Amino acid sequence: MARNDPTDTGGLFIGRRPGTARVHYAAEPDEATAARRRVDRGVAAFVLVVETLVCLTLWGPQPTAWLWVGSQVDYHSGSVSFGIAVAFAGMIASLMLTLVLAVRLDGIWKVVRRAAGYDQREGALPRIFMITAIVALLAFGFWFLILEGPAPSLAPR
Amino acid sequence: MRRLFDHYRQYQELPPEEVARELRERRAEERRRELVFVPELDLARTAWHEPPHPEAVNAATFALRRRMNAYPDPGAREVRELAARRHGLAPAQVAVGHGAAELLQEACAALLAGGRELLVAWPGWGPLPELARRVGGRPVPVPGEGGIGPLAERVGPDTGAVAVCSPNDPTGAALAPADVRALCERVGERVWVLLDEALADFLPPGEDAAGLVAELPNLLVFRTFAKAHAMAGFRIGYVLGPAGMAERLTPSFSVNAPAQAAAAWALELGDPVLARRRAAAARERDRLAATLQGSPLSFPPTAAPFVWLSSDAHAGREIVEHLAARRIKVAPGEQWGDERHVRVTLRDPPATDRLAAALGELR
Repeated sequence: MARNDPTDTGGLFIGRRPGTARVHYAAEPDEATAARRRVDRGVAAFVLVVETLVCLTLWGPQPTAWLWVGSQVDYHSGSVSFGIAVAFAGMIASLMLTLVLAVRLDGIWKVVRRAAGYDQREGALPRIFMITAIVALLAFGFWFLILEGPAPSLAPR
Repeated sequence: MRRLFDHYRQYQELPPEEVARELRERRAEERRRELVFVPELDLARTAWHEPPHPEAVNAATFALRRRMNAYPDPGAREVRELAARRHGLAPAQVAVGHGAAELLQEACAALLAGGRELLVAWPGWGPLPELARRVGGRPVPVPGEGGIGPLAERVGPDTGAVAVCSPNDPTGAALAPADVRALCERVGERVWVLLDEALADFLPPGEDAAGLVAELPNLLVFRTFAKAHAMAGFRIGYVLGPAGMAERLTPSFSVNAPAQAAAAWALELGDPVLARRRAAAARERDRLAATLQGSPLSFPPTAAPFVWLSSDAHAGREIVEHLAARRIKVAPGEQWGDERHVRVTLRDPPATDRLAAALGELR
């Protein structure tokens, strides 16, 4: 038969499509009971909530806390620059530590999800990071524009 | 607590390096266990084992990219002119057809009407008797290892033509131009001599008999591009003969344009390719002869890229089966009614080495 199909690769990409590789275990995991799977589903959901909260702290509580620390340093040292430097360095350091913690939590979440019976290949951290950033941006926008921004002047208290 | 962690630890995936290492080990184990694959070596066909010269393919491709909605040149003018120039003839003395086989069949149809005899030097080109039979002729094999004596003596009132092959398939023996001339003169002008020179490109230059067409009125010489030019897939060949007969043998519908273009390139510029292939065939022939020295196996002198192998100690069937067990395919001589010989095509050095090694195991 003539081969003129433009999608026919002539056998160049035989086998699975990219990104669909199964998870490789050192040994086939033991079959868990249904009850244990239910418990693991709950644990996985809890870990995901914790992971989300940890990520959320990056967009509000942590910068706020470090700004407060910076202001205290400024107050006690009398140097604004030093206060800003401390706040900035602290933010970077806690960001790194938080990311390390989030990655660990994401690894735990993946493993627990697999134990709960899901074919969990990827972690949830990138999506959580993006969603929490959007949520924080919206919250900041609401605070900035509605609560403390031009809105109060348009509708005075 | 430890058991709890162990339970979750078993769901941790292996790192990619570990997976790659495991896959490599598994493949190595599979390779160690699988049987060694020996590809088949087909030495039973006489078409050249390499592809055509890329420039011949380019010429065909160029033709394909032109006006393929139009019919090809009905007279294959360029091919005829080039073939005529090559053999010192007039273009009118050349007919181009879909391979030498078709032209041979046309010649049989034209010359053997009414059930006339075709004397075929035997062993000769295998399909020829069937071609003659198909068009109503009566093929008569004449044993004689390609020599002209028995053929000329066998000519009778019913004989329409005599067919010889040079270099002969399957023996590889070549007829000298003087022998061809003698045959044409001995059979008389009433009987045509069909000289199949499909393998003549493997002869040293000037040793073919095509030029005799200018002098002999009863000689037809058939040439093909399927062998030394490695263009069997193009299905194109030509016949040289007296102008009237060439016109009679011209097919009603011409050869396709890409095949004409490739053939024109081969006739005009293909000589260096022919020289290389001629030298390659000779080299492999000499190497095989050297390895067979001192063994019961031997073959007669041959100008073709194959040998007509026989053994003092073994029947042809034994040689065929011995080689088949080593996945080497050769043509049994029984196709020609000969139980002692096999026809073995020569290819490249690795093929000759493998053949020689297999023949060396024949005890």
